Amino acid sequence: MATDFWASSHYKRWIVDRATLKQARADDLQYVEDPEHLDLLAIYFANVISKLGKKLQLRQRVIATATVFFRRFYVKNSYCETDPFIVISACCYVAAKAEESPVHIKNVVTESRLLFSQENYNVKNFPSDNTKLAEMEFYLVDDLECDLTVFHPYRTLLTLCRKEATDSASLFGSEEGEAEEAGIGIGTEDGPRYWGTGEGQLEVTDGALQTAWFIINDTYRSDLCLLYPPHIIAIAALYLTFILNPSMRDTVLPHLPTEHEHSRASMPQQSSAAPQPRRSSRQAHHTAPTDSPKKPQDPIAFLADLNVSLPLIATVSQEIISLYSLWDRYKEDAMSEAPRHNRDQAQSPFSGSTGSTSPAKRSAPESRSGSLHAGNSNAGTPMDTREDLGETGWSDGSYVTPAFLSGVLMKMREARLADMSHPASGRPVAINKMLERTQAAG
Amino acid sequence: MLDERANILQHDPMRIYRAKRDAARRTVASKYTILGFISSGTYGRVYKAQSLEDEGQIHAIKKFKPDKEGDVITYTGISQSAIREIALNREINHENIVALKEVILEDKSIYMVFEYAEHDFLQVIHHHSQTLRAPISNAFLKSLIYQLFNGLIYLHSCHILHRDLKPANILITSSGVVKIGDLGLARLIYQPLQPLFAGDKVVVTIWYRAPELLMGAKHYNKAIDCWAVGCVMAELASLRPIFKGEEAKLDSKKNVPFQRDQLLKIFEVLGTPEEKDWPGVVDMPEYQNMKRLDHFSNRLYDWCQSRIRTPLGYDLLRQLFAYDPDNRLTAKEALQHKWFYEDPKPTWNVFHTVPAHQIPPHRRITQDEAPSMMPVPAHNTSHQGHGHGGVPFTQTQSKPGSTASFGSLSGGGPYGQATGGNGAHVSNRKKARMI
Repeated sequence: MATDFWASSHYKRWIVDRATLKQARADDLQYVEDPEHLDLLAIYFANVISKLGKKLQLRQRVIATATVFFRRFYVKNSYCETDPFIVISACCYVAAKAEESPVHIKNVVTESRLLFSQENYNVKNFPSDNTKLAEMEFYLVDDLECDLTVFHPYRTLLTLCRKEATDSASLFGSEEGEAEEAGIGIGTEDGPRYWGTGEGQLEVTDGALQTAWFIINDTYRSDLCLLYPPHIIAIAALYLTFILNPSMRDTVLPHLPTEHEHSRASMPQQSSAAPQPRRSSRQAHHTAPTDSPKKPQDPIAFLADLNVSLPLIATVSQEIISLYSLWDRYKEDAMSEAPRHNRDQAQSPFSGSTGSTSPAKRSAPESRSGSLHAGNSNAGTPMDTREDLGETGWSDGSYVTPAFLSGVLMKMREARLADMSHPASGRPVAINKMLERTQAAG
Repeated sequence: MLDERANILQHDPMRIYRAKRDAARRTVASKYTILGFISSGTYGRVYKAQSLEDEGQIHAIKKFKPDKEGDVITYTGISQSAIREIALNREINHENIVALKEVILEDKSIYMVFEYAEHDFLQVIHHHSQTLRAPISNAFLKSLIYQLFNGLIYLHSCHILHRDLKPANILITSSGVVKIGDLGLARLIYQPLQPLFAGDKVVVTIWYRAPELLMGAKHYNKAIDCWAVGCVMAELASLRPIFKGEEAKLDSKKNVPFQRDQLLKIFEVLGTPEEKDWPGVVDMPEYQNMKRLDHFSNRLYDWCQSRIRTPLGYDLLRQLFAYDPDNRLTAKEALQHKWFYEDPKPTWNVFHTVPAHQIPPHRRITQDEAPSMMPVPAHNTSHQGHGHGGVPFTQTQSKPGSTASFGSLSGGGPYGQATGGNGAHVSNRKKARMI
């Protein structure tokens, strides 16, 4: 089970298609002015989960599990008909238990009340009574169909990649020390990896692994965890890392077919001495400062050898980029100067280093061509589609803040409630009236 | 109207959601007829039930005890034990593991609907010791152990430690298929976020607890389950627990005490562990305590002479009782042991070689308890001996072997329904609040 994703409840019951997701938001869609607010709410909720998780000192994997629970819950339910805040608390509470690191219910209640009552969220009525959270837990577990084991991309990442030189086991949650389980990734006793037959590990720098880890953290801000198996998300994150992380990019660039193959054809003298073009001296020169005597690896060949659909990886990568583009418009705090200032990434095993910065942001200054931030053309990288993602109208600095989204959410819920109280009056009219009324009032 | 709406939003925002869910939910009573009561423990109660659908199949329904404040049943959070059992059972599927059919969450209670198993190892042992007064035949014994290992290999390949293997938790269907039950103490050990020790201080019922656990090891692995299987095999062969020690209870500060008596019981048969057999023993937290015990030499061979009766059977047991967890036979290795390939060979129906009149009786159910299916009586939590086919119990209630058979997990502790030992009780109650 722990290794057989294909036999898991995650794969069998909780990978859904876009149509299902669309259906799941159908009710909510009637109560928002801009459909994109729903996508922004997805970021907003994930951030809330992450913040609560940090208050409760949950590990990154627990937070990820809580987020997946939250997304699964809202495949079946609507924001407008529920109180997402108590759902968030219950998700964290259950996830901590499901990941074998339980927290006391009283803790969850206290921290939730404290966090949610902040101005941004303005939830003044979060129950102080443990039983309310326990009740929500009960309904949540039912809606989750008791499927509480979740697979995450982190594991694939750590199985695929090996940090240069050092043993990463100590860093990556294996402080367990259980001899036979201590290794990262999937042990040899388990036979082939569950997603294919790729062998060996890609050797990457600390920074690169960190970047990939952060990208994975970021994917939980969207519905990706419902749409794609975790190993696909991990490989897409790794793929993006090749471009975003300077050390990886230098390793990869010589191997890019567009550059390399082409230049070789037109200027054969340039690499005439290389019978194996993917082992060019240029790459060796650019790899990380560690003077490893080993033959440098070719990341592109490594990816190609994985038994996954590369077009699918490309698609998921694009979706991650779309998420970043949307996220650029989300600002945790209206006062803060950087849009991603408060992004919650510190819970990765790298916490303490560059905890609060996103991979995109971190790599942006060093990036020659692959910045996710700059609205410039990014020719030569997979990033150049991002301009099509509806940036217009937002580049003038009009950000969406948690406070704004809290208001959107409250309006949705009030309007829905009004509709349900007056079923005969017909939904569309009632919505608008209610919206106008609350807007006028607020 | 607006006031009421505001009231809902402010004071019970999930009311509409709950009403919707409650209306859609199918109740236990609408799907099953409760036939009778099977057993109970600190976790709750198990009932025999017949499905009102799929051809009237028989099931065992485990109802977790709801938490109560006074006489009012309230939500206090699902126990870690229930979460584990539910989460693990939803993922696994194997012939030799009790299958979970569904989980029904209704009226503050959790009902787990399992496939029904007519017998269990403890009942087989009692049947042979009390009724037949004859040992379990070699063929029967071998089939039971073979299928047990077959199920254990699956669990271990899924990175699940059972952590409470004992005769009462190993079931047999009427068609003779062994089913490992009770994953309430089981857990995934794949890339755990914190040490196993941090979650549960005490695991495995004392008589089946591996020496490394008794010696206070903070880290342990699948080998603890293999030790327990060795104990189960020896118990089947001799009809009594091989290491029947007295458990030292947790002290008032819930420190885990040195399990002197249990270790002595083990040493009496296997000898005092030597550093050459178990290099890690010197690093065990209880090593100094252990050194003060009397010295014994290994007499397992003699023990097996009259009980296991074959050299290969002895060899299997010897390897399952290896002190060093790293040298102990794994479930996979055990299944390839020559004992299973020597005649009589194991059978897929464990009763295949058992004469009809020697097959243990059907699980006894009681009627008087059945009506309590819905509301649980307020002060009726100590039970003994239900469901053992009328076989009298020889042990006192506080002993680990006396737990009732079906799904006799304890609610988060290894104590079964231990009613002695205040420490155990305190710790269980504490645990219930913790999670």
